[in-house]
Amino acid sequence: MRKSQRDSVNRRDFLRAAAASTAGLVVPPSAAVAASAKGSRGWAAPPLLKPVVTDGEPNVEILTVDHPGSDFMVDVLKSLDFEYLCANPGNSFRSLHESFINYGGNRAPEFITCCHEESSVGMGHGYAKIEGKPLLVCVHGTVGLQHASMAIYDAFCDRVPVYIVLGNFSDAAVRFGQVDWTHSAQDPAAMIRDYTKWDDNPASLGAFAESAVRAYKIATTPPTMPVALVAGHTLQEHPVPGGAGLSVPKLSITSPPAADDGAVAEAARILVRAENPVLATDRVARTPAGLSAMIELAELLQAPVIDRNGRMNFPTRHPLNMTEHAASTIAAADVVAGLELTDFWSVVNSVHGQVYPETQPTIKPGTRLISITANDLFMKSNYQDFQRYTPVDLAIAADAEATLPSLVERVKREITDDRKRAFADRGAKIAAAHRQASEAQRDAAAPGWDASPISTARLSMELWAQIKNEDWSLVSNCQFISRWPLRLWDFRKHYHYIGAEGGYGVGYGAPASVGAALANRKHGRLTVSIQNDGDLMFAPGVLWTAAHHRIPLLILMHNNRAYHQELMQIQIMASQHNRGITNAGIGSVLVDPPIDYAKLAESMGMHGEGPIGDPQDLAPAIRRAIEVVKRGDPALIDVLTQPR
Amino acid sequence: MGLVKFVGIVCTLLTACGRIGAQASGAKAPGNVTSGKQMFLEVGCAACHGAQGQGTDLAPQIAPPPLDLEPMIAYLRQPTGKMPPVPSGTASDQQLADIYAYLKSVGPPGSLINQLKGNPENGKKLFVAYGCYECHGWQGAGAAIAPRIGPPALSLAGLLRYVRAPTGQMPPYTAKVASDQDLADIYAYLKTLPPPQPANKVPLLSQ
Repeated sequence: MRKSQRDSVNRRDFLRAAAASTAGLVVPPSAAVAASAKGSRGWAAPPLLKPVVTDGEPNVEILTVDHPGSDFMVDVLKSLDFEYLCANPGNSFRSLHESFINYGGNRAPEFITCCHEESSVGMGHGYAKIEGKPLLVCVHGTVGLQHASMAIYDAFCDRVPVYIVLGNFSDAAVRFGQVDWTHSAQDPAAMIRDYTKWDDNPASLGAFAESAVRAYKIATTPPTMPVALVAGHTLQEHPVPGGAGLSVPKLSITSPPAADDGAVAEAARILVRAENPVLATDRVARTPAGLSAMIELAELLQAPVIDRNGRMNFPTRHPLNMTEHAASTIAAADVVAGLELTDFWSVVNSVHGQVYPETQPTIKPGTRLISITANDLFMKSNYQDFQRYTPVDLAIAADAEATLPSLVERVKREITDDRKRAFADRGAKIAAAHRQASEAQRDAAAPGWDASPISTARLSMELWAQIKNEDWSLVSNCQFISRWPLRLWDFRKHYHYIGAEGGYGVGYGAPASVGAALANRKHGRLTVSIQNDGDLMFAPGVLWTAAHHRIPLLILMHNNRAYHQELMQIQIMASQHNRGITNAGIGSVLVDPPIDYAKLAESMGMHGEGPIGDPQDLAPAIRRAIEVVKRGDPALIDVLTQPR
Repeated sequence: MGLVKFVGIVCTLLTACGRIGAQASGAKAPGNVTSGKQMFLEVGCAACHGAQGQGTDLAPQIAPPPLDLEPMIAYLRQPTGKMPPVPSGTASDQQLADIYAYLKSVGPPGSLINQLKGNPENGKKLFVAYGCYECHGWQGAGAAIAPRIGPPALSLAGLLRYVRAPTGQMPPYTAKVASDQDLADIYAYLKTLPPPQPANKVPLLSQ
């Protein structure tokens, strides 16, 4: 049976073929051979598509595939126990997409429709920080990956595992047209290799299976980071080869690297003998166990904790939490133990100056430094997120959370009765200072309480009043609202706070909040986010994702009507350059026209209220929105706020 | 830091240091202003108190010094609050005496500047136009990155001195971009702002 050339165009590629005048290149193998034979070089090219014999008749175009490779890929990826797959659709992984929703039943993972690849990865970032494991992100290999790259960098800097599958038209001989070529890369993962932990481009389904399992293992071993796996389109779309002998390898999770006994013993000795030890934390608590272990260590030593808040490491109202008295606590220290600090240098140094930075130690001469971090086990060179080098007295290359249990035991063995008495005295003094610091925070929150625009302290406390008796989870960064929640709320549980973006990349906040809310949904937690306006404007489509998938999340807009950090930076430059200080808003404010975030939310199918500028109107609006969220839907309140 | 609170802390320090002040310092000679100025920068006093001891969002004004030399040295050896200790290995008693001499030499705020009459309505406009609100808030209530300045705790002269030569993240505003009269107008506006209500009068802050 022969088919016409017109009929031979793959039907699934009709649209692509319409866009590409090269559609006629896809011809039956026999025609291709014939055409090539007429070429000037006089040699016959191999057939572009494999001829198949059906009922004894050769040269029939394949119209259907019973067992595409993507089905096997789904089997492999399902074995990794992903709950969700976040993706914006892209034809370089169309076969995988179809296999997930039909062959895989759209369950474990369930497809979450995203409107931007940065949203897909951002959701994965937020999800992992709540759930402690990655979700799956599928990305169109070239253009989609470029959209995703900033979010991948954030996750990399934040040491968060995100599992990314990149579609790619790897085999040039079977690309259908112009778009396929444009959306193909020789080495698709190259552009993110500097900020992923591992990637692979397997050439067979068997290799895909091994690499898929290996990628998961690597991503989830501290220091946890994003990984990328290329899924070539022929591997996805063509039938599983007969006799391939494929199997799904067993996943064996690697135990996190803990410190050796000698190093732990030395750290314990130093800490127990110190008069004023300080525990400085940033990303210690990967899991609830990390939080508990931190509390135990601090209480054993009666040592103050300075939390840099990369995660929820230590309860904010614990008497030993001296985060709000960090400068004097560090200045008085004779030992500082840095536990998974992103930037140890800035804990023990400060930078001053207007035009030229001047640095100064914030510790006394002779203060001993101990570092425990998995960052010492893995580092890349190009991007400089590894921060300034800090000479320390004892550097322990290990995951701090995994090391804490043995450190706690060693500290117990080192403590004598004399030291216990000294620790008790020290603890009492720290508790008094903590109370003093807490009062100072309340004093600082009062100015501007009734102001309009609404102060960020008022915003935070109006929200706190209505969630404090719920099982709540704050999933947004507090940096741009003067850290009020961290200064005033009672953070106690692992999921009460998830830190910030890691790479300081704007655009993380909205998708990470939705991803974290997705993780919290099955636990029935009330997820809240104080959302920066400029951040939401990067990819607001994630609101639609939240509405479509009924992801309960309360969003309070911190609508200060500017990319305010940059507005201040331009003001600094204008002042330093000494040539006028009234134009700093050009290029950095979002005021004309004003953005109506309530309408934006409503347009996406969400509950929206605002803008609210009178603080008296805030509490009723929050109450109404919480009712919506408790019914299982997202809600947004637009709040006109003070700058910080 | 509110004015009331600052005064309270200073009073506390004066009381505390009065007890300790009976101990004689190790300073053998009168302070040297030039050495003191250098030490003031080297020891790091300027990082929090400003290059001329005028005070910043991190620490209060200390020029002219609010304490006598002996109590100041005693306080620096065993400070309270956010103030880090200055052990003798960092600065000897004699070096602290030099710093003290420098702080005294800076002198009180100028009287001519204090005679400037500000226009609060124009000051309100300038407060926005000059970007003061960006860090200090629309009503000068302050934020984590910048202190409350409405109503101001500093004198007009103190504010001018600080704005011209700030420390920390505060950008410098020279006379070319903001005249003394402009700053006097802003100061006059800030003086019209009500003092904050005490935190204990705000029920939501007691949660």
